[in-house]
Amino acid sequence: MTHLDSELKQIKQQVIEMMTLVRNQLAKGKNAVLTFDKDLVHEINANEKRVNAMELSIDRAIENTLALYTPVAVDLRFVMASFKISADLERIGDNAVGIAKYINHVNEQLTAADLDKIKFVEMYENALLMLENVFEAFEKEDTKLAREVFVKDKVLNKINLNAASITIQFIQQTPDKINNYLYLLSIIRKLERVGDLAKNIAEELIFYIEAKVLKHHKKK
Amino acid sequence: MQVLEKQQIMTGSQKLIEEKKTIIEARDVNVFYGHFQALKGINLTIKENSVTAFIGPSGCGKSTFLRCFNRMNDYIDEFCLDGEILIDNNKIYWNKIVVEELRKEVGMVFQKPNPFPKTIFENVAYGLKIHGIKDKTYIEEQVVKSLKDVALWDEVKDDLKKSALALSGGQQQRLCIARTLAVEPKIILMDEPTSALDPISTAKIEELLFDLKQKYTIVIVTHNMQQAARISDKTAFFYMGDLIEYDDTKTIFTNPKQEKTQNYITGRFG
Amino acid sequence: MTNALKNKLIDNAFKVFGIICTLFGLVILGILIFNIAEVGLTRIDWNFITSLPSRKAEKAGIYTALMGTVWILFLTAIIAFPIGVGAGIYLEEYGKKSKWANFLEINISNLAGVPSIIYGLLGLEIFVRAFNMGGSILAGSFTLALLILPIIIVSTREALKAVPSSIKDASVALGASKWQTIWNQTLPASIGGVLTGVILAISRAIGETAPLIVVGALAYVPFAPSSPMDEFTVMPIQIFNWVSRPQHEFAVNAAAAIIILLLITFMMNGVAVYYRNKWQKKIKW
Repeated sequence: MTHLDSELKQIKQQVIEMMTLVRNQLAKGKNAVLTFDKDLVHEINANEKRVNAMELSIDRAIENTLALYTPVAVDLRFVMASFKISADLERIGDNAVGIAKYINHVNEQLTAADLDKIKFVEMYENALLMLENVFEAFEKEDTKLAREVFVKDKVLNKINLNAASITIQFIQQTPDKINNYLYLLSIIRKLERVGDLAKNIAEELIFYIEAKVLKHHKKK
Repeated sequence: MQVLEKQQIMTGSQKLIEEKKTIIEARDVNVFYGHFQALKGINLTIKENSVTAFIGPSGCGKSTFLRCFNRMNDYIDEFCLDGEILIDNNKIYWNKIVVEELRKEVGMVFQKPNPFPKTIFENVAYGLKIHGIKDKTYIEEQVVKSLKDVALWDEVKDDLKKSALALSGGQQQRLCIARTLAVEPKIILMDEPTSALDPISTAKIEELLFDLKQKYTIVIVTHNMQQAARISDKTAFFYMGDLIEYDDTKTIFTNPKQEKTQNYITGRFG
Repeated sequence: MTNALKNKLIDNAFKVFGIICTLFGLVILGILIFNIAEVGLTRIDWNFITSLPSRKAEKAGIYTALMGTVWILFLTAIIAFPIGVGAGIYLEEYGKKSKWANFLEINISNLAGVPSIIYGLLGLEIFVRAFNMGGSILAGSFTLALLILPIIIVSTREALKAVPSSIKDASVALGASKWQTIWNQTLPASIGGVLTGVILAISRAIGETAPLIVVGALAYVPFAPSSPMDEFTVMPIQIFNWVSRPQHEFAVNAAAAIIILLLITFMMNGVAVYYRNKWQKKIKW
């Protein structure tokens, strides 16, 4: 194994590690919303520091690898992809924190019926599944798996599209809980963004493995 | 989670380089060739089991400095060294030092592969023979071990009686490294060891250095900055006889402190 | 006429001139050998080589002269080889660059150019008289050894210089002493060149007449020498002796002896060339 190989392997390990951490953050966010558990919010906030530290650590490893080993071809694409993936992961982490934070601002728990109507759980599960998909794809370097993310993202988009009208209904029915509903809407928006970021990661993966640029094109 | 811990252990082991024993120490070394001052007050320490690269433009004094460590400059007329160089805490320019003994501890590999015009076996065994070792089984063991250490054994094990000059350039250079290893030095000095080789042979030797540093301390002069970046733990940049910067290779290549270093490694020199 | 054409013409003209010059030397040599061979070849037989000298031309042989030459060559080689090679090694490997070394170097080159008769006088004074060797083979050998020493020293130095310094560096860097490096690396690598120089120097000694006459080689020696202290003659002196006689038969003898002498010289040169090629092939840097 060459020096470069071991460096690349380390970067990959670190990215996978960060992926696991970020996915857990997001999953905890869901539980926090469902159970209204403020301790979980604290936990998520604490872990966010670790996510940020990991991003910095990956950045440093990538800078060193580029400076010392001048990777080319597939190695270069891997390093470039990892660089962007780590930034995407960090933003997913931010979104998880954002979702959890609302619990501090909302005065009462959202009812299960409301959440059901806006398809909160379905959307959240889908987003988590997308992450799992794309992470597994990264670990196994499987672009077929990565491409499944594009299909799942459409479900998220659909739920997001309907969310606005549903929220208006909610507010018209019980105007005194307007605060809660607005927060719910922005959680939906954040989940939609998580889906986009997962899609970005999938694109980076395909760029790294197949050297194909999917950005700004229509996906099949 | 496990990976993160491993990461912390890794950075821990890098810190250990600083805690390793100092094996070479230069104190205020000035070197003159007649009236020309080739090195100006160099202070530098090198730790055990590390790879240290000397980089810099031609004529910057890096080779001269390297050759001070095994006193190969002694044969140059008008060479004059001021200051002290310590290897294993022994002052090597002290006049009671036996130079032959010093060179047994501090081996050297040269720019051009220079095997002796003898058989492969004799090449590796030569160092042992001149140091008075007659035990044939020991010599044979050392030859085999050294050739294995440089990953040449599988290529030459059936041709030990053949002339070393029949080997390819890369093989010759690995043979020269094996020849140096056979006398079990502590330090190996390398003076642009891959500048006469093709990329594949170069890569093989670079990989070799990675393994060799477990057992030896390696100091390498190279014109190829990428090579210095790839293989070394520490890098020293020389310019016009001055040691401009000496730091972790990562720091030198990502965030050099001196403008001259930055200009040199980015190729914007002059 | 364009410049290129002009240059081409000059080029061709010089080529022709060069060929003529080369041919001139070869033709002269050819004529010489042909002339001698025509006269002397028929005279050469086993008897001619094994007979002692005689007043009668048809009975006379070169045995004593041939043996004298062999003795002289043998002793000269034994004396000159170690001294010459030793001095060459010292000057090339040990001697530091200094005024003294420069002085030595210039004088060795000068010695190579000193006329051989002067060596003869030197040998007469030192070996024959001061060391009391008399007109013996030993005195002659010492004198010839002195004569060819500068040639051996210079050629040894050239041969040593041809060994790449990278080999010496490699040996020294492994902790070899200077002598170990010379004995194990430099000498084995340069031995072809050294031997070539020695052989060429000795083949030059074969032809030397003047210093030996001065030292006391005799024109007529009745018996072949059997020890270094014996009186002797050598081939060139025998040839000179025969040529200076009025009878035609002796001239034929001289021609035959010349052929033998030439054969010996060619043979030695051949050996030298063979060695040089052999070692050059063995060691490719």
